[in-house]
Amino acid sequence: MPSKAILFLGVFVGTLCPAEPINFSRQIRPILSDNCIACHGPDEKARKGKLRLDDEQDAKRDRKGDFVILPGKPEQSELIKRIESTDPDDVMPPPKQHKTIPPEQLALLKEWIKQGAPWGRHWSYEPVARPSVPKSGEASPVDAFLADRQKQEGLTWSPEAPKSILVRRLALDITGLPPSPEEVAKLAGAKHADIVAHFLAKPAYGEHWARQWLDLARYADSAGYPSDPGRVIWAYRDWVIKALNKNQPYDQFVLEQMAGDLLPKPTEDQLVATAFHRNTMTQNEGGTSDEEFRNAAVIDRVNTTYAVFMGTTMACAQCHTHKYDPITIDEYFRSYAFLNQSADSDKRDESPLHEIYPPGVKAQRDQWTKDSAAAEAAFKKPDPTWLVGYDAWLAQGPKLTDKPLKAALDAPKEKRTKAQEKLLSDHYVRNVSPATKAERTRADDLKKQIAASAPVTVPIMQDLTGEKRRKTFIQLRGNWQALGDQVDEGVPTHLARWDDSAPKNRLGFAHWITNRDNPLTARVTMNRLWESVFGVGIVRSSEEFGSQGDLPIHPELLDWLAAEFVESGWDTKRMLALLLNSRAYRQTSAASGKRNEQDPDNRFVARGPRFRPSGEMLRDQALAVSGLLSAKMFGAPVRPMRPNMGLNIAFGGSGDWQTSTGEDRHRRSLYTDTRRSTPYPSFATFDAPNRETCVVRRDRSNTPLQAFVTLNDPVFVETSQALARRLLKEGGATDESRLRRAYALCLAREPDAAELATLKKLLAKSSAEYKADAALALKMATDPLGPADKGADISTLAAWTAVSSVIMNLDEFLMRR
Amino acid sequence: MNPLREAQLSLQTRRTFLSSVGQFSLGAIALHAMKTDALGAPAANDKPLAPRKPHFKAKAKRVIYLHMSGGPPNLDIFDHKPELVKRSTQDCPDSFLKGRTFAFTTGVPKLMGSPRTFKQYGQGGLWMSDAVPNFQKIADEVTLVKAMHTDQFNHAPAELLLFTGHNRQGRPSLGSWATYGLGTENQDLPGFVTMISNGVQPSGGQGCWGSGFIPSVFQGVQCRGKGDPVLFANDPPGMTRDLRRATLDALKDLNQRQQDELGHAETVTRIAQYELAFRMQTSVPDVMDIAKEKPATLEAYGAKPGESSFANNCLLARRLVEKGVRFVHLFDWGWDFHGTNPKEDIRDGLTAKMAATDKPVAALINDLKERGLLEDTLIVWGGEFGRTPFREGRTAKGEVLGRDHYPDCFTIMMAGGGVKGGFQFGETDEMGFGGVKDKVHVHDLQATIMHLLGFDHERLTYRFQGRDYRLTDVHGHVVKEIIA
Repeated sequence: MPSKAILFLGVFVGTLCPAEPINFSRQIRPILSDNCIACHGPDEKARKGKLRLDDEQDAKRDRKGDFVILPGKPEQSELIKRIESTDPDDVMPPPKQHKTIPPEQLALLKEWIKQGAPWGRHWSYEPVARPSVPKSGEASPVDAFLADRQKQEGLTWSPEAPKSILVRRLALDITGLPPSPEEVAKLAGAKHADIVAHFLAKPAYGEHWARQWLDLARYADSAGYPSDPGRVIWAYRDWVIKALNKNQPYDQFVLEQMAGDLLPKPTEDQLVATAFHRNTMTQNEGGTSDEEFRNAAVIDRVNTTYAVFMGTTMACAQCHTHKYDPITIDEYFRSYAFLNQSADSDKRDESPLHEIYPPGVKAQRDQWTKDSAAAEAAFKKPDPTWLVGYDAWLAQGPKLTDKPLKAALDAPKEKRTKAQEKLLSDHYVRNVSPATKAERTRADDLKKQIAASAPVTVPIMQDLTGEKRRKTFIQLRGNWQALGDQVDEGVPTHLARWDDSAPKNRLGFAHWITNRDNPLTARVTMNRLWESVFGVGIVRSSEEFGSQGDLPIHPELLDWLAAEFVESGWDTKRMLALLLNSRAYRQTSAASGKRNEQDPDNRFVARGPRFRPSGEMLRDQALAVSGLLSAKMFGAPVRPMRPNMGLNIAFGGSGDWQTSTGEDRHRRSLYTDTRRSTPYPSFATFDAPNRETCVVRRDRSNTPLQAFVTLNDPVFVETSQALARRLLKEGGATDESRLRRAYALCLAREPDAAELATLKKLLAKSSAEYKADAALALKMATDPLGPADKGADISTLAAWTAVSSVIMNLDEFLMRR
Repeated sequence: MNPLREAQLSLQTRRTFLSSVGQFSLGAIALHAMKTDALGAPAANDKPLAPRKPHFKAKAKRVIYLHMSGGPPNLDIFDHKPELVKRSTQDCPDSFLKGRTFAFTTGVPKLMGSPRTFKQYGQGGLWMSDAVPNFQKIADEVTLVKAMHTDQFNHAPAELLLFTGHNRQGRPSLGSWATYGLGTENQDLPGFVTMISNGVQPSGGQGCWGSGFIPSVFQGVQCRGKGDPVLFANDPPGMTRDLRRATLDALKDLNQRQQDELGHAETVTRIAQYELAFRMQTSVPDVMDIAKEKPATLEAYGAKPGESSFANNCLLARRLVEKGVRFVHLFDWGWDFHGTNPKEDIRDGLTAKMAATDKPVAALINDLKERGLLEDTLIVWGGEFGRTPFREGRTAKGEVLGRDHYPDCFTIMMAGGGVKGGFQFGETDEMGFGGVKDKVHVHDLQATIMHLLGFDHERLTYRFQGRDYRLTDVHGHVVKEIIA
């Protein structure tokens, strides 16, 4: 059986149909890329035998009568001879590379040369051309492409999923929260497209999709590195939520984050957006070089820019010309040059900062600041009447804690310096003198008002000007101190052309990314959207679109989506709705044996998508169904319950925290204080990244430690307790009606008889145990949620807590079905 | 369940794993990483942590890595420098300072020979100071690698370089590579365990035991001597074992129905994971309970039940490897001997720190030997870098004697797992400024550890973002000389 699986993975390169023309980009290039290009590719320094197999001309040129590739003649092509050679000195790839080209790939290479060795660029660098939609009788172009492909694969659509399941699926996919039973009932008769529109209009949409974007933006509420101090940057998180909710066109969304500060007369929102690139870490450990870590931040910005917007790994080209893709080290540092002018320089205060005030407050606060300064100055030049009582006060020997003050007071009068005398009299006037009481009160009030109206700050991008602008040099082998030639700003133009009218700065760089000619931006974004909805991208390696990435399983569909996206005016919600309204999406996720066999990952979408949501979503869902979830949006990060580990951060404070109070304990997970050195444990267990660097795609593991979280983490114990109380309150008087209510809340469906029987049996057993042990029951029902309502039957609550926990650990609850 | 159905499910489980976990998941192991044997033994890939064979016959089957966070002062423990003692308090020669940066020292610092007494021990004549009375007794069991060097002179990047091959977060750690390559022997315990003593996590953070871009099943699981032995492993306060079993039975029943209806392999995996979690709730506390040890053993280690000391962790490390855990990584805080307070003094401060360290380490080595486990258990003891032969600049005027961070030379102690006993490898110059013979870079250490585990470090790779990554990045040479 394993050979089948391998064939599946190698679906494009594995099988050979001689009748069909070979597609260079999809069938040949990956073989060359995997086996040959590292030594026979763009990297001049690594190049062996003066041969480039990434360059058609060089690969086919006449070498004194010999040819590496002689179109039409595989037997005369050195490429084939070398692969077939048994001489260890001649054979390619050389034995020390530990690579061998399997016979079926060799056969493909031969057939390709026989067919004339037609060349082409790597697929994702070719311009997006809008393909024509296959005629298959499907209303949606998305379905038309898929149906066409399914037919080739011998697959067919699955039936549509039940309405209530679809409502839950849509609610989770669009808003990250489950639907309420009332919502499910209300939408039971609605058209599918209207249900999609209903959820797309909810503010929770922005929160849900912001969480995904924040992985890309490597957003955190701490600065990173060992000491990992807090960082105030949450205004950026709120900006993302708002931008998504108002459906800001994606190109604008990108422009503002990359270069909002360089737009003409930037608005406050556009400045806040630039915090995208201020999510890099700052190093505050003693003895470290600010310049070294400023450089590390700029490197991170280059890598993140290309990874997020263009699915391109630039990290290779940081040290040497990319071995697989046509990106040179010069080009890397030309991109670096765009980002090298930002004024920030690894400082603890995270400057430059933008200050955000509610409307009108800034002018008022400026006035208060002026008034306060004037008042304080007046105290320093006191009216003689203000000093009445000064000597008497001195004679009393007042208790002073301030060190210099105390020293002045303790000094014998004749030995006091003038400065000490002034210190004491100033203190008297400012803090003690009865004559200044009114002035003092006013001055203190001003200070309080100033403190209370302190702005929210956010680190932003701001370019240096004039002489302060930095020069950029190539860093040899990735060493920031080993500098090569100076370079100017520029982009790898073979990826997309540079518009000469664009400014040579970050804004121009951003325009280059969002230019409709850029072959990667729209493809990468649509692929990520597809991945969010269907579980796996059309290109599985959503983080890598270069020649070492996976090939698209359906290139025409991806291109159609990319073209449609650009033509729609980069309308993200519209594209999302397009996917969610498709027949593909509406299918049941039940998988027949045959479908599993043929397409275990559901790449051809012959059934509905089904996968495990993020740890953040699982917590949000548990809070929502139990009724604990706070609807409060935005603002400073909060600290939900978290186990105390009793550990300190190296050179920092405690890794533990004080739990927030009130509804802040139960806010959506996206508002949780994100500490890079101590990620929230349950999220991390469900594969959340630590936000140190950009993560395009999360793992979806399935481990026993996850079972510990959803069974035993106090956060989840609390939601089970709250759900139990809710069921007893809202679920009617019988066990069965309560179980039905639980299923409606958690799974948006009715339980069947067998399910009811299993849960009733558990309920009976738990009830018996908790009736027999009141102390145990009390713990089960109230720790950590807190006391139940007066007169509540604790043993019943405890038993329902156990049952609720089982329902909230069902595979169906933990999976988006 | 009928056997046919079971076979079908197991196939689906495998398929799901092949394609849905991580980048290439175990498909990657089969197709990319372990081309030599994985294709011949595909059954081993059904479960990610099932034991697997390495590239060639291994000398070590498991590893206990004892990391002293902060950088122990090598010149006061192993690297005896009489010439430096002679020139103590002289200005540090300009030739050593030119063009260099130190973490906390500027200007011209004063040389500082060790105030400690050195002698040679064991048949190999290994140099050790009076700071390590217990290491002296096990001199015949260990190899000292004396000309170690690294590229980083700050804690976090140096620890990450040492444990992930790269100075920034994001790469898989040494332990996760080992577990990825070998799986683990006991499916009821995590394959890779980390423990922390002295209340502070290492500067390199959780990245020191993270799995980076390889599937997260291979990351280190932090175990603790106090509280939940594994995070959230304890049932909630109102839950009995009997009821837990009943809830899991109900859950299994309901999940099985779901599986029958929807046919998803992932559900089968989830059922299995809940059952494994239930078994771990017994197996983990059981292995973590050192009260079960004989008083003489506790005494030998200096361990006391209920603490989370380094001594306890050493004893736990033995208990864990004995039960089949593949990799145990201990982190001990408090080795940053700058001299900013008396604890960081290379005289009494070091004596006190070592008293809580060299005894349990020696006990661990002896204990493993008595149980016949030392020969295939590799022990590594050391820090992320060394310390300067001069007094640290900031603290030079005080009473406390401290040294600054120093990447150019430091000593690592290794034992068991195919490493020679009573052997020292490499030399530093007479002042302790750098290696002069048989230098070993941290990448070489990594290559050597992987070699002892049976892997060619160049071939144990994982494809991420289009590149085949390995622990040693593009470096690393196996230090064959230290292998028995």
